Amino acid sequence: MYTLVLTFLLLFQGAGAGRVVNLVLPRDLNANEVVWLEVKMGVVPRGAEIELETTDGKMLGVVSPHGVRAENEAGTYVFPVPPEAISNNRVAVRMTFSYAQKKRAPTSKEVKSLRLKITSQSR
Amino acid sequence: MNKTTFPLSRRTFLKTSLAAGAGAASLPLTSHAFMRPAAKYTRYNVMSPGGEKAIASYARAIKIMLNLPPTNPQNWFRNAFIHIFDCPHGNWWFYVWHRGFLGYFEQTIRNLSQDSTFAIPYWDWTTQPEIPPIMFNDVLTPVHEAFEPYTKNLAVFTSFIQPALKSYWNSLSAAQRNQLNIRGYPDFDSMWNDINGYSTSAKQGISGNMAYAITCGARYLSRDNPKFDAKTAYAVSPFIVNSGLYPTDFYNPDITLSFNSAKTPSHNSPPGQNSFSILEGYPHNKVHNYIGGVGPLDPGPYGNMTNFLSPVDPIFFLHHSNMDRLWDVWTRKQQSIGKPWLPGPQDMQVFAPEPFLFYVNSQGQYVGASVAGDYLSMERWDYQYEPGYPDTLETISRATNKSARPKIRGTVRANRATLAVPASAIQEHLASPAAASLVAAITLPHPGPTSPTREFDVLVGAPPGVTSVDVDSPYYAGTIAFFGNMAHAHGMAEATFAVPLPKKAEAFKLGAAAIANVDIRIVPAHGRGRAPALKAATIRAL
Repeated sequence: MYTLVLTFLLLFQGAGAGRVVNLVLPRDLNANEVVWLEVKMGVVPRGAEIELETTDGKMLGVVSPHGVRAENEAGTYVFPVPPEAISNNRVAVRMTFSYAQKKRAPTSKEVKSLRLKITSQSR
Repeated sequence: MNKTTFPLSRRTFLKTSLAAGAGAASLPLTSHAFMRPAAKYTRYNVMSPGGEKAIASYARAIKIMLNLPPTNPQNWFRNAFIHIFDCPHGNWWFYVWHRGFLGYFEQTIRNLSQDSTFAIPYWDWTTQPEIPPIMFNDVLTPVHEAFEPYTKNLAVFTSFIQPALKSYWNSLSAAQRNQLNIRGYPDFDSMWNDINGYSTSAKQGISGNMAYAITCGARYLSRDNPKFDAKTAYAVSPFIVNSGLYPTDFYNPDITLSFNSAKTPSHNSPPGQNSFSILEGYPHNKVHNYIGGVGPLDPGPYGNMTNFLSPVDPIFFLHHSNMDRLWDVWTRKQQSIGKPWLPGPQDMQVFAPEPFLFYVNSQGQYVGASVAGDYLSMERWDYQYEPGYPDTLETISRATNKSARPKIRGTVRANRATLAVPASAIQEHLASPAAASLVAAITLPHPGPTSPTREFDVLVGAPPGVTSVDVDSPYYAGTIAFFGNMAHAHGMAEATFAVPLPKKAEAFKLGAAAIANVDIRIVPAHGRGRAPALKAATIRAL
């Protein structure tokens, strides 16, 4: 059993209401490995969500904090990344802050970090 | 009452988990697994006939609870305040605390509805990604007029509940107050700020932070608009649920490998820097929030399900019944692949003694001191689940299901099963450093109500003269134990138990041949009574 924390964030791109983050796997995936997207949240208002999707619109997930007291950081969340979302060892993730019927790019205080993790299934 | 045994409802658990509260330090945590074939109560899918019957009883009890005075701990809103005071989120006590909360609540509903068969139905949102139609009927929705005398506005709600709550608050023990301090509630007013949404830093009310919900806005989804949006539907999709059931560790600091959320100093620790497990962080949270209107109703106020008073909405208990069911599915998946389903020995010493101090029992009495270890097992509440998604464990067992070998069926003669197993499978089993890769399924009759014993040892490869063993014996494969009042055993025919085979070469007669015969026998544990006649045995190489 092993887990590799790889990743990294190459660049931010403004795109539409959200922000595109290009994450790169430093090596090819081996058989029986899966990729996860880890999102570390900061403080967001009750009801705010972070939508995560690929640049071609495939949903990766939505961070929807629950059970977090007001004005507290919202914790860390992970989402499985479907194989089809990975192209040339890259995953382009569009992050959108959604709140009060408005969408925009999240700030670094709202989403503190984003990274890919690789986990072996052959445990 | 009749008992129904579901193919997926058999489960094993650590015998000693029941004793966890008595002293975690003394817990033997070796895998001494045994099973019970059927439980007294069945939690049905809400869409099934059994679920509909239970819902009728549920509605009867809700009406009674709504009409109880606020000084009664079983009042519907007082029950929801248990969640305000004590619910863990974003930590590894999430599942076990809610199992206790639902267990006592289920007994309360059974008592008040006078339905002795009642068990909380579950809402399998993976196959039913919309609120079940029946949950818009009568008091099964918090927007019903029966809630209005209590929730038609914040002033009414406050005048109704606050005096009784303050009185309760002033009666709390030092241990309870300490837990509330950890939670961020050093005094009553700080707790009440989460009810009315008042922010001490902003010095104003923030609508989205308000746990109270006005009657007409207590649930966003309606009979005319019952479906999840695309994002919530994705959160409950097979892909996400399977991913959440995939981890093989009860707890792992790497959240992608952990079934549970983060380990924290207390179950009342705020999530803050913690990691959420996939199932808690995604389907659990998203369903809560969307039912309350996160998204469509931004920036609030939201319906009950979005915030800490979520148990005011009767759908809460069906949602959490499904979360608990998924824990049971994960547990049985772990057993089927020979992996631990409880915290490891050191973790158990931290996990099990965590005090849960706010529960109320079926008689409306405060339970007092109890600990997380008291609620690890479903047997405490004697329930099982009607099968739901996933309908097989194979979809979530891929980690070790690399070869998917067929079952080997044994022949049974004179209470001994003989199975022809490929020598290569035995060698692989013996060489594997961790879990058993050879697992037997053993079928035997339920002992009768007058049987002096209900526990039986499984022996593998034991010489004919060996009639009892201890756990150090190379032939010992585990103890099968039947649970519950043996009077309930009438009419129960047979039960099948999964038993991981021992990793001792002496248990197997390996020679040069490609096939080796494996012998399995059942003997009474503790040297008392007689063993039941072995009915069948199979072995599967995982």
